[in-house]
Amino acid sequence: MALIPPISTNFTRAVTPATAPTAPGAASSVGAAQRSNDFDSAVGNALEDLNSKQLKADQLSRDAATGKLQNVEEYMLAATEAQLGTQLTVAVRNKAVEAFNEIMRMQV
Amino acid sequence: MSGLFGSLGVAYSGMDTYKTWIDATADNVANVNTVRRTDQPAYQSKYVVAASVPGTENGPAADIGNGTSVAGVELGDAEGKLVYDPNHPLADAQGMVRYPAVELADQMTNLIIAQRAYQANVTVFERARDAYARALEIGK
Repeated sequence: MALIPPISTNFTRAVTPATAPTAPGAASSVGAAQRSNDFDSAVGNALEDLNSKQLKADQLSRDAATGKLQNVEEYMLAATEAQLGTQLTVAVRNKAVEAFNEIMRMQV
Repeated sequence: MSGLFGSLGVAYSGMDTYKTWIDATADNVANVNTVRRTDQPAYQSKYVVAASVPGTENGPAADIGNGTSVAGVELGDAEGKLVYDPNHPLADAQGMVRYPAVELADQMTNLIIAQRAYQANVTVFERARDAYARALEIGK
């Protein structure tokens, strides 16, 4: 009998803080959605940027093969940027997959 | 400076400009003995005009520019040097022909400066590439 009141007070105490931040909780879920959108668009933009770099390097390598290339360093710049961009994208992807796997392994 | 791998583009702009300078020097050296008639202008040596490219970034690093670019080509002296060479087919009545005012020693000096500066930009490019590649290895 003496145990019940503390539990109930604990319960109500636990409920009132939980009900009070419902609005901030909803806001934070919206924030999470925005974050995921931002991450999506960031990855999408990065991939588009990388694709254009790869296409430019491809075009310049074709120019080099057909003798249309005007200067060597232009190709080297495009190729290096494409290479570094690819490495960066792969690194970001690996980190994201790693984080996902880490969460999936989490003991509940 | 701007962009994800900005230093590469800046180093490239330097390479491009010095390559243009080497091209201009090659033209000058190739024409060092180009003879004209005295009533014609001499071959005019080519001077590459380099211009610094202002940065496009905002913030504390806004003053760092985007390297250099070729703003144009200036032409040297059209007067040249009058040389007495009466047997030359282009010689005038006084036996004079017009040589360009190009000094081979100056051109060779410029060539060395341009070549070394080009190499310096290549080194910057390589170092920046290695630094970026190294940064991508963080946490591997």
